[in-house]
Amino acid sequence: MKRGLGLFAAAVYAFLHLPLIILAIFSFNSSRFTVWQGFSLHWYHAIFQDPQLAESAWNSLIIAVAATILSTIAGTLCAYGLWKRGSALLSGSLYLSLVTPEIVMGISLLALFQWSFRWLHWRLGLHTVILAHVAFSIAYVVIVIAARLRTFSPSLEEAALDLGATEWQAFRYVTLPALLPGIVAAALLALTVSFDDYVITSMVAGVDSETLPMVIYAMARRGASPVINAISALIVVVFGALVLISERVRES
Amino acid sequence: MNRRVFLLGAAGLAGCARKRPRLNVYNWSNYVAPDTVANFEREFGVEVRYATYESNEEMLAKVLGGNSGWDVVFPTHNRILPMREYGLLAPLNHAWLPNLGNLEPRFQTPPWDPRLEVCVPYMWGATGIAYNRSVAPAPEAWADLWGTRLKGRMTMLDDPEEVVGACLLKLRLSYNSTAPPDLRRAEREAIAQKTLLRAYLNAEFRDQLVAGDVLVAHSWATTAQQAIDAAPQLAFTYPAEGFPLYGDNAVVLRESRRAELAHKFIDYLLRPPVAAAIVETSRTATANGAAQALLPESLRRNTTLFPTAETLVRGQWIGTMPAATQRLRDRIWTEIKSA
Amino acid sequence: MKAAAALDKAASGWERLRAWFLLPAWIWMAVLFAAPFVIVIFYSLLTRGAYGGLGPPWTVENYQRLLDPLYLVILLKSFLMAALTTVICLLLGFPLALFISRAGNRRNIYLQLVILPFWTSFLVRLYAWLFLLRDTGLINTALQHLGLIHDPLPLLYNDGAVLLGLVYGYLPFMVLPVYATLERLDPALVEAAADLGAKQWSTMLHVVLPLSAPGIRAGSILVFIPALGAYLTPDLLGGGRTVLIGNLVQNQFTNARDWPFGAAISVGLMALVGVMVLLMLRRERETLV
Repeated sequence: MKRGLGLFAAAVYAFLHLPLIILAIFSFNSSRFTVWQGFSLHWYHAIFQDPQLAESAWNSLIIAVAATILSTIAGTLCAYGLWKRGSALLSGSLYLSLVTPEIVMGISLLALFQWSFRWLHWRLGLHTVILAHVAFSIAYVVIVIAARLRTFSPSLEEAALDLGATEWQAFRYVTLPALLPGIVAAALLALTVSFDDYVITSMVAGVDSETLPMVIYAMARRGASPVINAISALIVVVFGALVLISERVRES
Repeated sequence: MNRRVFLLGAAGLAGCARKRPRLNVYNWSNYVAPDTVANFEREFGVEVRYATYESNEEMLAKVLGGNSGWDVVFPTHNRILPMREYGLLAPLNHAWLPNLGNLEPRFQTPPWDPRLEVCVPYMWGATGIAYNRSVAPAPEAWADLWGTRLKGRMTMLDDPEEVVGACLLKLRLSYNSTAPPDLRRAEREAIAQKTLLRAYLNAEFRDQLVAGDVLVAHSWATTAQQAIDAAPQLAFTYPAEGFPLYGDNAVVLRESRRAELAHKFIDYLLRPPVAAAIVETSRTATANGAAQALLPESLRRNTTLFPTAETLVRGQWIGTMPAATQRLRDRIWTEIKSA
Repeated sequence: MKAAAALDKAASGWERLRAWFLLPAWIWMAVLFAAPFVIVIFYSLLTRGAYGGLGPPWTVENYQRLLDPLYLVILLKSFLMAALTTVICLLLGFPLALFISRAGNRRNIYLQLVILPFWTSFLVRLYAWLFLLRDTGLINTALQHLGLIHDPLPLLYNDGAVLLGLVYGYLPFMVLPVYATLERLDPALVEAAADLGAKQWSTMLHVVLPLSAPGIRAGSILVFIPALGAYLTPDLLGGGRTVLIGNLVQNQFTNARDWPFGAAISVGLMALVGVMVLLMLRRERETLV
């Protein structure tokens, strides 16, 4: 069965990565259209000549990291608290935040921000985007961590209490370490959801807070796809390298 | 190394350097040449934040609040009246727009703003039929889009106004008709056509025309021109029954605190060389008559972008829909899509 | 007495911790979800402005408009699509999560490999699928060259293509939660079952699956619910030929400029899903979250 499982996994990975491979190949296409017309590094050159791209990529990264940190912390604590004793209201609103169509969330958040800015004298900017991102990614974190918590038995924490620990210590030293793989999975999910968000971000972004998806979507719609292919290929290479490096560091 | 990055870096290094004045411009994508904005920044010593949008609604959603942060935006002509009524537009100071005379005569008194009080026409376009020359006889009218020989190789725009409008024109009714019986007739035509269509596509049909998947496409003139550039076997026609016209205009938002700089930018865009460069990059038709004279022969005589006067006579400016009609049209669109 | 007092103290200790832990989430949801949600409800009770936007009078007309067979059929179709997507994601995602959880110290890399494509723009990858599935696309060209087919297969602009795109887009949302529970699976348990003579399939059914049930439920929710509101995939891969709820809402806020109606549809959808989730929680007796 292990062999079968491995083959199946390879097939699913192929399914997930096939578009990426296509993109990578066409990033070297000399033509703008998806008809192969020769090899060229032209589009990679174009990336480095576009300061807007670098800036938007940086913005996206800041937003994604900040939103992930905030939502992972809040979400983990929330999942743990709900595990102790549920709350229909909180659970319900988390589910509802999942089902809200993105454009509705975007427009309503925009309305909220614009209304509150009359008193706060703020403008739309990176901060509003981060707030919005946490709003929609918290639910993902909570659900993933809660699922993992389902597999825990409370008896471990009880044992810790019997041995004299406080509740906080029981959480910190018994449950939290065991939660870590779940937290990593949830954080990854939140990071991805945030990094690629377009609709909500475009609604609440300020004049100066353009993100990579916004730039990419604009380019894609007007058909500058080879540049995007190059960007995508680059992103994959960079993040893939980061992953490999972090694994090496972890192992050593 | 990119000069702008270097300048910003140097400014940063200098510490509290004097900040250059700023201008925030929100435009359609692919509506400027690669160096248009950079040249403006250099010449006037300002910094321009330039972002793009894909639809009027996207822009309006941000601008309706009155504190979006944008100075110059580019609404389509049929949004000018609503924006005016909502108090979003700043009146234009013609003294700050010396190049206004470069506009074609008909754009100096456009129907939506005859005295150019709030807007300056920028680019205009029309919708028609793009097709592969291998299709014989070549399509010449909207009615040709209902032919069964093209089954599965045809696309229409994914735009309710355009599709219903094309059906209305096919029925020899007005593109801007608000009469419910007219609209219902148009709906029946659209549903009948749907089985012949491959899909409703706004941008992807260009690639597919070039690749040969699609033989005939409902298309804007500029998109068609971009496809023709890549594949000379393609062509474009302005349908015999008539066709819709649209014009995108530069406006200064009332909320802007940099009105004079905004005017300078619009005036800069009105310069013939600047406008000509934009046409060459984006393959759109400019409202700037003086710029047209600067274009290379092939573009100046391009009938896809600049149709002849006889052709233009058949064109109708897209109107502003009253709320009741909009609702009916939206319902009709949902019914067409669900059919 | 002392035991009872100690129990009380312990109980209140957990309560206090729980209260603090829930605080950030409460604040966030109150400000950034509840408040916008209230705004959406307000919007749904207003009327479309002359040129878009909204204004008085207050009305429930938007909700009345919803109760039309046209929209109810769209809703049904969206539910079916989302359900199918969830099932396929489960069939594909569970074995993958199982594989990853058994991969020893290469687990993290395999996990990252699932996520890696999703760092690039979803829209761009959808365009890549367009290229793959087109009549002159890679798949058809390859099949024709191999002589397996003569005319190109209609792989694009139909419900099948939309389903493929949805599964493609939501697979990680199934894999990660399932992995989060499978990772906890003690290999010793599986060994013990084998020692006791259980066949592999039996172990799977009676040991692995029940233990990963919370993950499966979580994954199903994280796929089904967002899939209901999907609009980009049906738009791009469906060629605009069908309308799902996500497209309908999107349309109201763009082309139709009928924000109140769009808000009403969203509230209706949320109400429906809310009821569904409530029923599901009742049946399960234990809450998922």
